[in-house]
Amino acid sequence: MRKKDTNGEYAIPNVEARVASRSGEPSMTDDAFSGFYQRSAPALHAYLTRVSGNRTLADDLMQESYLRFLCATHPEGGEVNYRRYLFRIATNLLRDHWRRPTSARIDDVPEQFLAVHDALGGVDSRAILDPVMARMRPRDRQLLWLAHAEGYSHREIAEITGLAAASIRLLLFRARRKIARLLREQHSIDRNRA
Amino acid sequence: MIFRGCSYEADVTEALKNGHWPEGCAPELCSHAETCVRCSDLVLVTQTFQRARNESILAVREASPSLLWWRAQLRRRHTATERLARPITIAQIFALFVNLTVGIVFLAWQYRHGLRWETWWSDLASTRVVHFFSLGSRDLSGIVLATSAVGMVAVLSGIVLYLVYKKA
Repeated sequence: MRKKDTNGEYAIPNVEARVASRSGEPSMTDDAFSGFYQRSAPALHAYLTRVSGNRTLADDLMQESYLRFLCATHPEGGEVNYRRYLFRIATNLLRDHWRRPTSARIDDVPEQFLAVHDALGGVDSRAILDPVMARMRPRDRQLLWLAHAEGYSHREIAEITGLAAASIRLLLFRARRKIARLLREQHSIDRNRA
Repeated sequence: MIFRGCSYEADVTEALKNGHWPEGCAPELCSHAETCVRCSDLVLVTQTFQRARNESILAVREASPSLLWWRAQLRRRHTATERLARPITIAQIFALFVNLTVGIVFLAWQYRHGLRWETWWSDLASTRVVHFFSLGSRDLSGIVLATSAVGMVAVLSGIVLYLVYKKA
């Protein structure tokens, strides 16, 4: 069985960061993209699902992220930079979605719609994290996920989100303090229920 | 807000990132994390997010990458075609504008000279087409030459514009 590299440490050996030509020439071969997709899609989908709180939206945004990634000029530096670039595209798409006046704000969505339903386990994490995430601001959710789930550094988060690198530390500190308090509250609520 | 850092924070972050927490860490680091608010927040949040990430990754239904790749190629080609068509359209509009201007100027000029083309037209109608140039006056051949030259300039301007856009 093929092992998934969801951390993205391995570079694509036969793919160079080619400049996308103006003639419509593909910037990555089909095979190379398939490999890259299999390694990066789960992490990207997890990011989009948890930050948006909407699996259908996450599916759409993931497809659009890959389409834009394939149509764009790729950054140099191999797969690690490709992944960062992909997350940047996804972050911008999420931001565009939230800015759209016709779409419902994520804060206005009832909590029961934020739960991600699937046949697999992980009920604990969803039961605790999803309600807490729904109470966080969208930007804070992005910062927290990129820092604590994806393990990106402050500089990398600044590149992905377009925020100033100097402000990431403080924003992240505030967001972490808030979510930690909410998580403890949620834990105590669950314990009382049990 | 007073922003105080913790000297152990980097070590705790590294241990959590590498999956060494708490078994692979020094006991003093673990005991510090229990008493330090910043580090305990860091441990709680990171462990919750890592668990959520692992669960979400397992639940992902992957789409076909080949289908995405082909859709991207279609989009790229469409964009490239649009990019190529834009200067051509501009050149065509420019050529049309020049031709219209020439036409209007020609008509105005004819009008100011007493609508001689009316008599010319009646003369032409009474003669055979094969004798078109031989019957034409000096003025007529000059107009034909001038119109051809302006038309040529219009076409060449369109081509030049197209080449300039393509280079840019």
